[in-house]
Amino acid sequence: MYRKILLAYDGSEGAKKALVAGINLAKVHQAQLWVLAVQERLPRFSGTIDEVQEEKALADEQYGRLLQEAQARAQAGGVELKTLMRPGHPAQTIVAVAKEGKFDLVLVGHTGLSGVWAAFLGTTAEKVSRHAPCSVLIVR
Amino acid sequence: MEQVWYTAAAWIGLALLASLISIRIGISVALVEIFLGFIAGNWGAHLGSAIFQPNAWINFLAGFGSVVLTFLAGAEIEPESFRRQLKPTLAIGLVSFLFPFLGAMAYAYYVSGWNLQAAQIAGIALSTTSMAVVYAVMVETGLNNTDLGKLILSACFITDLGTVLALGLIFAQYDYWLLIFVVITATALVFLPRLSRWFFAKWSGRVSEPEIKFIFLVLCVLGALAVTARSEAVLPAYLFGMVIAGLFVHDKALIHRMRAIVFAMLTPFFFIKAGTLVSLPALIAGFGLLVALFSVKMIAKIIAVWPMCRIFKMPLRESNYTTLLMATGLTFGSISALFGLNYGYINQAQYSILVTVVIASAVIPTVIAQVFFQPREVSLKRQAEFVYCGTAEHFLHMPEDE
Repeated sequence: MYRKILLAYDGSEGAKKALVAGINLAKVHQAQLWVLAVQERLPRFSGTIDEVQEEKALADEQYGRLLQEAQARAQAGGVELKTLMRPGHPAQTIVAVAKEGKFDLVLVGHTGLSGVWAAFLGTTAEKVSRHAPCSVLIVR
Repeated sequence: MEQVWYTAAAWIGLALLASLISIRIGISVALVEIFLGFIAGNWGAHLGSAIFQPNAWINFLAGFGSVVLTFLAGAEIEPESFRRQLKPTLAIGLVSFLFPFLGAMAYAYYVSGWNLQAAQIAGIALSTTSMAVVYAVMVETGLNNTDLGKLILSACFITDLGTVLALGLIFAQYDYWLLIFVVITATALVFLPRLSRWFFAKWSGRVSEPEIKFIFLVLCVLGALAVTARSEAVLPAYLFGMVIAGLFVHDKALIHRMRAIVFAMLTPFFFIKAGTLVSLPALIAGFGLLVALFSVKMIAKIIAVWPMCRIFKMPLRESNYTTLLMATGLTFGSISALFGLNYGYINQAQYSILVTVVIASAVIPTVIAQVFFQPREVSLKRQAEFVYCGTAEHFLHMPEDE
């Protein structure tokens, strides 16, 4: 039933569980599995371009490593994984990518790395489930 | 001597705290440093402590920080994209400087009753556009790699050049020292690219960092000449950055090492100092003027930039977006206001209002541009990354909004 699955991945425990679920779902449905890493907390209102460039380079490296790990796991599970990396607000970016790529399922872990703030502001998973253009599976 | 170490510990501790907060909340370290400087300065003044009052060595580090920041900003131009879109870049950049400069100066002079020099500082500080704030916004959307993004960045560069020229020339003393400064700077700018290329090729990559010392030496010599001519050291720094921008494009390691020195030791002192001098009572007393000057800056930018974007056939949404981004400001605005305070052209109350308006202009137009006027050009380009591969079975499960 699902042909194109988007997994939001930040390397947290919740995201790792979602990755396992994603690999299984992709196998069952013979679906494409895409993983999206959102680079949050790049410096806004910056004083120098250098600051943004340095932080972006660091984020590229960190999130690139996370995506490589996810790719290795998927490969071990017999699934081909396509990766995406975007800077921005996590929930907004996940929803935007789901719309742009016409995904039919979004997978998110129950709590991501922004868990402390989630208690006050709502989790990324909650926001994605409210605004996504397709079905959302929150993996616990 | 002991007091120096306490003071250094307090300032560097504040800089460290700013770094950690900045990383945690995703707001630039410059803004956090200004904010913490503001808290520490006002708190210290309330308690009668002098530890966060700038002294001679802090003033030197902050001053040198502002010069190196300006040099790095000058080196950020992309000569190729600048040449490719020369006309719109020059037109948008020029009006983006001129209108707010004249508008804010006129308002401060005629309406607020500031003296001429204070009004000129207000005009310069509020004419700026923050290339860095704009760049940070564009990285999130990928716009920095598009023609539109490069046009906006190059136009910001021209606006800042206007600011630096105004700062360097309006307050200069027009005598033979200025002539000497202009002749030596112009000659140096002609020969420095070749000399720098030779120097970097021969001496770069050594542990004693001769190429960074070479850059610092040029900045200090030209800065000394500028100050002797009653001009401002940021003027030759920006121009020097401009002429050797091409060298930096090829030498990423040099930029990286220079950033490490600048961010660790120089810019924190500049931004924290800029914050410590902002007075809370002055802000409360001058809140109305603060709002007025902010409005003047925004209106002047809109009147100047938006029609120019339309003249160059930019679509409506992109024109709105460009106008708002060109209305941002941070580093050069702070440098200009601090210059005015250091030389006594403005008092602390006027400085507090100008810096706060500059900070407000870094945040408010950016947020409005991102929320309401994000160009569609980028998302369309990015769509190409995806290949839709639905089958008949798949269409039974259509996305919910279709």
